[in-house]
Amino acid sequence: MIENPVGKTMKGSDISAPKSFAHRVSSRLYTNAKLRLRLLIATPLLWLALVYVAALLALFVTAFWTMDSFTGEIRADWNIENFVKLFTNSLYQTVTLRTLGIALLVTVVDILIALPIAFFMAKIASPRMRGILVISILMPLWASYLVKAYAWRSVLSNEGILQWLLRPLGLDTPGYSLVGAALTLGYIWLPYVILPIYTGLEKVPQNILEASSDLGAKTWSTLRLIVFPLLLPAIAAGSIFAFSLTMGDYITINIVGGATQMLGNLVYTNVGTANNLPMAAAIAMIPIAIMFIYLSVIRKTGALDNL
Amino acid sequence: MVEQTPAISLRGLTKSFGSVTAVSNLDLEIKSGEFFSMLGPSGSGKTTVLRMIAGFELPTSGHVFLDGEDVTTKAPFDRDVNTVFQDYALFPHMTVLENVAYGLRVRGVGKREREAAAVEALSTVRLADFGGRKPSELSGGQRQRVALARAIIVKPKVLLLDEPLGALDLKLREQMQIELKELQRELAITFIFVTHDQEEALTLSDRVAVFNQGRIEQIGSPQELYERPQTPFVAGFVGTTNLLEPQDTQALFGKAIKGSIRPERIKLTTQNSVATHSGKVIEAIYVGSATRVHIKLDAGPEVTALVLSGSDSSESWSRNQEVQVVLNEKDLVQLETK
Amino acid sequence: MSKTPLKLSALIVGMALALSGCAASGGQTSGKLQSLGDNEKTLSLLGWPGYAEDGSNDPAYDWVTPFEKDTGCQVTFKSYGTSDEALNLFKSGDYDVIAASGDATLRLIASGDVQPLNTDLIPSYKDVYPFLKGQAWNTVDGETYGVPHGYGANLLMYNTEVVKPAPTSWDVVFDKASAYKGKVTAYDSPIYIADAALYLMKHNPDLGITNPYALDADQLAAAVDLLKAQKDNVGEYWSDYLKSIDSFSTGNSVVGTTWQVIKNFMPEGSTVEAVLPSEGATGWSDSWMVSSTTKSPNCAYAWLNYIDTPEANAAATEYFGEAPATAGACEFGSKGFCDSYHAGDEAYAAQIWYWTTPIAKCLDGRTDATCTDYSEWTTAWQEIKG
Repeated sequence: MIENPVGKTMKGSDISAPKSFAHRVSSRLYTNAKLRLRLLIATPLLWLALVYVAALLALFVTAFWTMDSFTGEIRADWNIENFVKLFTNSLYQTVTLRTLGIALLVTVVDILIALPIAFFMAKIASPRMRGILVISILMPLWASYLVKAYAWRSVLSNEGILQWLLRPLGLDTPGYSLVGAALTLGYIWLPYVILPIYTGLEKVPQNILEASSDLGAKTWSTLRLIVFPLLLPAIAAGSIFAFSLTMGDYITINIVGGATQMLGNLVYTNVGTANNLPMAAAIAMIPIAIMFIYLSVIRKTGALDNL
Repeated sequence: MVEQTPAISLRGLTKSFGSVTAVSNLDLEIKSGEFFSMLGPSGSGKTTVLRMIAGFELPTSGHVFLDGEDVTTKAPFDRDVNTVFQDYALFPHMTVLENVAYGLRVRGVGKREREAAAVEALSTVRLADFGGRKPSELSGGQRQRVALARAIIVKPKVLLLDEPLGALDLKLREQMQIELKELQRELAITFIFVTHDQEEALTLSDRVAVFNQGRIEQIGSPQELYERPQTPFVAGFVGTTNLLEPQDTQALFGKAIKGSIRPERIKLTTQNSVATHSGKVIEAIYVGSATRVHIKLDAGPEVTALVLSGSDSSESWSRNQEVQVVLNEKDLVQLETK
Repeated sequence: MSKTPLKLSALIVGMALALSGCAASGGQTSGKLQSLGDNEKTLSLLGWPGYAEDGSNDPAYDWVTPFEKDTGCQVTFKSYGTSDEALNLFKSGDYDVIAASGDATLRLIASGDVQPLNTDLIPSYKDVYPFLKGQAWNTVDGETYGVPHGYGANLLMYNTEVVKPAPTSWDVVFDKASAYKGKVTAYDSPIYIADAALYLMKHNPDLGITNPYALDADQLAAAVDLLKAQKDNVGEYWSDYLKSIDSFSTGNSVVGTTWQVIKNFMPEGSTVEAVLPSEGATGWSDSWMVSSTTKSPNCAYAWLNYIDTPEANAAATEYFGEAPATAGACEFGSKGFCDSYHAGDEAYAAQIWYWTTPIAKCLDGRTDATCTDYSEWTTAWQEIKG
C-alpha cells in the first residue's frame, strides 16, 4: 500500500504540534461563554464608565464647590451652600415645577397624538402607505432642531399661520409662551414617541387582536383591554424620550417661550452669564434626580427592555 | 319535511387577494352539531374560508349565513362563532383565568360570575388549577386547552378551529384529538376544523371537505372520502393510494379507466396463479405495524402494497424478489377525469 | 469683597510678566509697556461679531488685511455672543487682545487678565472723543486698560401704529407697560437691571440712586421689584438682536429696549421708531484690551492704534452699527452714518450710562455703603425671570 505522505504529515501535525497561543485563546473563548461575553462588553462598558459615569460624578462633585463671584475663579472648598440655595430659594422650586409641568404636558400630548398615528401605521395602512408614513415621520429628524424651533417661532407669531388659522374661530395664537413652547417641544419630540409605539404595535400579533374581537370585544374594548396594556412598555419608552428631552431643553424655550424659563435656562445662565459652574452643576442635579425617579418608575413597566 | 336550518351556509363565496384568488365561488352547508373538517394542503383556501366565517376577512363576493342569518358584513364581535387560533393567540399580559373570562368580561358579566364560569371552563379542559398562571408559563398542550376554554366559555353556536393541533408533538396531538372529540360531543355545538393532516380529519370528523386550489374537490364522510374518492387529488391526499392510468387498468383489469387502488387492498403471495400478476420487489420498507412493498409489475405500472405485520403475507420481502400480486377489481375505484 | 485675591493675582500676573517680559522686545516696568519693539508674527483677537472683518464674510468689508500688510502681524479672530462668553474664552489665555464691553472690562481688570496700557505708544488715542476716555469701564486707579472702539445706546423702540402718543419716557415699559401687556420686550441680561435703576434714579429720587451701576441692597431690591412688575407685561426677552428684529416686524413686540442697529435693520415698511427717552439710557462703550500674558505686545499695540485710526474705526463701527470712537471716522463712513448714531454728540452721549460691571465697591463713590456685585445681579435677574 502506498502511503499518502501529505495525509500523514497533516494528520501528524494536527495531533502533535503544540497549540499556538492564539489557538488556545480561541478555544478557551469558544468554550467559555461567560468570558467571551465579558470581553465583548468590556470596551463599551469602559467607555460608558468614562464618558457617562465619570462625567456625572464630576458634575456632582463640582456642585459642592464655590465660585469667587468677583474674579470668577472656581474654588474647591467643599460646602453644600449651592444645595441649600436649591431647597430654600423659591426660584428653583418654581422653575422646577414649571419644567416638570411642561415635560409632563409634552409627554402626555405626544403620547395622545402618537397612539392613533402609530396604530394607523402598524395595523391599518398598506405596506406602501406605511413606508411613506415612516419616512414622513422620520423626515423632520433630518432638519436641525434650531430650524424647527425657529420655524415654530414664525408659526406662532402674531402674523403666523396659527393666528391665520385660529382667527376665524375667534381664537388667538398662543404666541411666545409656555403653551407655545409646549407645542413646539411636542412637535420636535413627536417622532421619538411615535417610533417606539409603532414598533411596539407591530410586535402585537394580529391574531391577538382578532381573538379579542372574536370573543366579542368591540374596538374600544380591544384597545383598552388588549392593545393598551401590551403597548404600555412601548408608550413608556416613548415617554422617556419626550420627558427627558423636554426636561433638559433650554433652546426651544428661549426661542418660543417668551418671557419664561426652564431649568435648562438656569443652568445656561449660571454657566454662560454668571460663570458659576458649581451652581449650574447643582441645578443640573435636579433634572437628573427627576429622571432617576422617572426611570425607576418606568422600569417597573418593563419599558427599559424595549429601548 | 322541513329541512333543519344549517349552522353555516356559504353561497358563492369568493375571496381574492389582488390577482390571487384564494377561494373561488364556494358553496357549502354545515349542519348544526356537526364536526366538520376542512382538509387541504396549505394555500388551498381552507383557512381563508374559516376566516371569512369568523369575520376576519370580508368576501370579495358571496354570502355567509350563520343559522340562516346573513352575517357577511358583520364584525367578528357580532357573530356567534368563536375561533381557536393556530398559535392560540392567548393574551400574554393576562392570567389564564383572565384569558378564559375575557369573552364574558367584554359582555359585561360581573367579575365573580365570570371567574366562576372561567374556572368551570378550565376544569372542562382539565386545567382548573392553572388559572393564576401566565400563558408563558404553560406548555403547548396546556395553552391549546386554555384557548379552547376561552372560546367555549361564551357558548358559541359554532366553534372554528384553525389547525389547533399543528404545533403539538405527535403523542400530545393524538391525546388532544380524543379530547376535542369528547368536548364536541359534550357541548353539542358545531365544530369546524381546519387541518392539513388527513388522518386527523378522518379520525375526528363527521364530514370532511377536501380543498384544492380554492375549491372543494369532494365533501363526504371519512369513509366515503377514503373508500370512494372522486378525483385523483382526493384519492392521493386522503390516505395513500396507487393511481392507475387507463392503459394500466386495461392491462390489469381489462377496462380502461382512471382508477385508484389502496395499498392495503393489494395482497402479495409467492404462489403463482391465474388471478395474480407477477412482478418484482423494488423496495420493501418496514414501518413497524406494516411493511410497504414497492413492486414493478410485469404488466407495466408500479404499485405499492401495504402488508400488515403478522398477516399471512407478512413474510419478509426483499429487493429484486419475484412476487405475485393479487388485485381485486372490486377494490378499484374509478376516478373522474378532467 | 476682600482685596486679597486681587493683590495676589496681580502679584502672580506681575511675576508672569516679569518672566515673559524678557522674551518680549521692548522694556516693561510694572506691567506696562514702555517702548515698542519689532512686531511679532501673529496676533489673536477676540471680539463681538463684526469687530474684525477680513473680507471672508463680505469682500466689501475688510479692515484686517490692510493692517496685516502694514504691520506683518498675522491676525486670527474669534467672535463671541455675550460678555460672559467673552470672559470665559479670554481666560483660556489663547487671545492677545479682546474687545470688551463695560460689563466685562472691570471683571477682566480685576482678575488680572488684561494689562494697563501706555497710551503714549498709541498715537491714534489722542483723537478719541474725550468723553470716552478715563471712564469707569476702561480706567482703574488712573491706569488706562482699554482704548475705545465705539459706543451706542440702548434705545427705546416702539411700534408707531400701536404705541400712541409717541413715548418720550421709559415709563411705557415700566409704570405704563400694562397697556402693552404681552408685547413689551427687554434685554435678556443681568445688566438690564441698570435700565430699571436708571428709571428709578429719575422717578424715585428717595432711593438715592446716583449711578445705575452702583446699587446697594435696598436699591437693587427696588429695581428688582420694578422688573418683576414689568415681567408680567413682557412678551419675551431678547439677547439675539435678530430675534428682536423678528419680534418687532411680526408685531409680537411693540415696545422695548433696542439698539440702533436693530432699528437700522428693520425690514422695509416697518412702523417702528427708536428714541432716546428723557431719562437717558444705558449703553455700551467697547474697549480693546491687551492680555496680561500676551506674547505679541507690539502687534497688540499696533492693532489698538490701528482700530482708532479714522478709516478703520469708521469701517468697523459702521459695520456693526454703533457710533465710532473718533471724530475722524465720520469722514470715512457713508453719508449720515455719524448722524444716525449721534457720534460725537456730547449731549447725547452724556445721557448714556455705559455698561459697567457692578462691583461691591460702589462706583458712585459712596464709602458708607456696600454695593451689590454682578453675581448678585445675576441671581436677581434669574429671580426676576422666575
